[in-house]
Amino acid sequence: MKRIIASFFIIAALTFGGLADNVFGQSRSNPKGSTQASLPVKVSLPLKEGSVRFMIVGDTGTGTDKQRQLANLMVQYRQVFPFEFALLMGDNMYGGEKAEDFKMKFEDVYKVLLDEKVKFYATLGNHDESNQRFYVHFNMNGEEYYRFKKGNVAFYSLNSNYMDKRQIKWLEGELAKDTSEWKIAFFHHPPYSSGGKHGSETSLREVIEPIFLKYGINAVFAGHEHFYERIKPQKGIYYFISGAGGKLREGDVKESSPLTEKAFDKDMSFMLLEVAGDQLHFQVISRTGETVDSGVLMNQKKSMKATK
Amino acid sequence: MKHNITTRSTLASLLIVLSLMCSSALLSFAQQQNAPANVSAQDKQAIAAFEKSVKDYVALREQLEGKMTKLPDKSTPEQIEAHKVAFENTVRTARVGAKQGDLFNPAIAKYIRMTISNEFKGKDRQELRKMVLEADTKGVPLRVNYPYPDNKELVEMPPTLLLKLPQLPKQVKYRFVNRHMLLVDRENGLIVDYMLNALP
Repeated sequence: MKRIIASFFIIAALTFGGLADNVFGQSRSNPKGSTQASLPVKVSLPLKEGSVRFMIVGDTGTGTDKQRQLANLMVQYRQVFPFEFALLMGDNMYGGEKAEDFKMKFEDVYKVLLDEKVKFYATLGNHDESNQRFYVHFNMNGEEYYRFKKGNVAFYSLNSNYMDKRQIKWLEGELAKDTSEWKIAFFHHPPYSSGGKHGSETSLREVIEPIFLKYGINAVFAGHEHFYERIKPQKGIYYFISGAGGKLREGDVKESSPLTEKAFDKDMSFMLLEVAGDQLHFQVISRTGETVDSGVLMNQKKSMKATK
Repeated sequence: MKHNITTRSTLASLLIVLSLMCSSALLSFAQQQNAPANVSAQDKQAIAAFEKSVKDYVALREQLEGKMTKLPDKSTPEQIEAHKVAFENTVRTARVGAKQGDLFNPAIAKYIRMTISNEFKGKDRQELRKMVLEADTKGVPLRVNYPYPDNKELVEMPPTLLLKLPQLPKQVKYRFVNRHMLLVDRENGLIVDYMLNALP
């Protein structure tokens, strides 16, 4: 029933149409360039006063030109859609974690955003050492899993590499006292996925989904798969994968997957999100500047009340 | 005589009810803890000895880290790297005689193999093997007191398995490398111990 209600409330306004809210064409590039031609910026998000605005990108830590191109696009979009912070979906550092890796694979790439005081909140992937939790720009404050709040939204960054009893106890303890209108969880491994290489993390799902259901998690964001996917609501929860911020696994989404609501595995991508009241708006942008998915989701708790 | 038989049967019934209540309570506790329901006395001993060894290691590394400058919660990459290297060297020196099996002794290794084997059967085992064997862990040394290379993947530990293995303090973690299982220190990255062929 929950699933039906959730599906009913999804108004997935698919791209290319009706996006003329805000258009902008100026570009600024990060150091070491990869300057690309200025792409037209089309934002389909409502930009409501007092809303919570953020960006999501995953599996970033390569330091490649393509990662920089995507970062430049983020800067362009931020001029029209001034997101305050960003969530990193893990695999923040591929192939080594020396001091120069942090500079080359993160600080240089997102220099403009960092200079503009955009805060990045990270989660750990299977290529990330635990010591990243001390890194000043990942805002983890020495913790492998943590919670923070922005407006009416509580964010839970979990460590899906190591979901042990200690973390589960912490999560349940935090959620039990959380009265936020929106509860969003983000971590590296996707409980649901149509990826051919990895697929759904069923062991993780078996352990955490009952907790999400019990305490009313609204939406879950993950990476690990190097593509974008919006999963059909599962037991009323919205699931997304955004893991193409530094790597791409082209053509990896199984075409016949019954899980997929919308997927994009042709190029790298990132997400822009806005929580305004009981609505969660999202827009997904590819490296070439195309909007490949967008829509608005209703807060399930409020939807349930409204339908009673 | 009849009275004796009645008393005995009443007592026997009481005992059965009591033992059923006790076993039910124990089962409920075990389920809450997600631990295997039937742990033999021998296994309990092995788990206790293993937990003590891990606790001893953690006490040592805490004592050593306590003498170092504390890493701030908001550190630069240079601070993180310097702390890791210094911590690694300090612990390596202190554990210079450490050898394979100091923590993963044969009794706990047998218990862990059995737990993994019971937890992962059929398709689940195939999927776990696929995930572990495909991971980028080639070149991770199977050597105690050596660092886990920072450019190698840290394979996700299946949560359903973690709930059944002996709980570790937060400073150390189980890690799969190929079919083997390692104990790795989460800050200094050292391989505290390892056991071969943990995965069937």
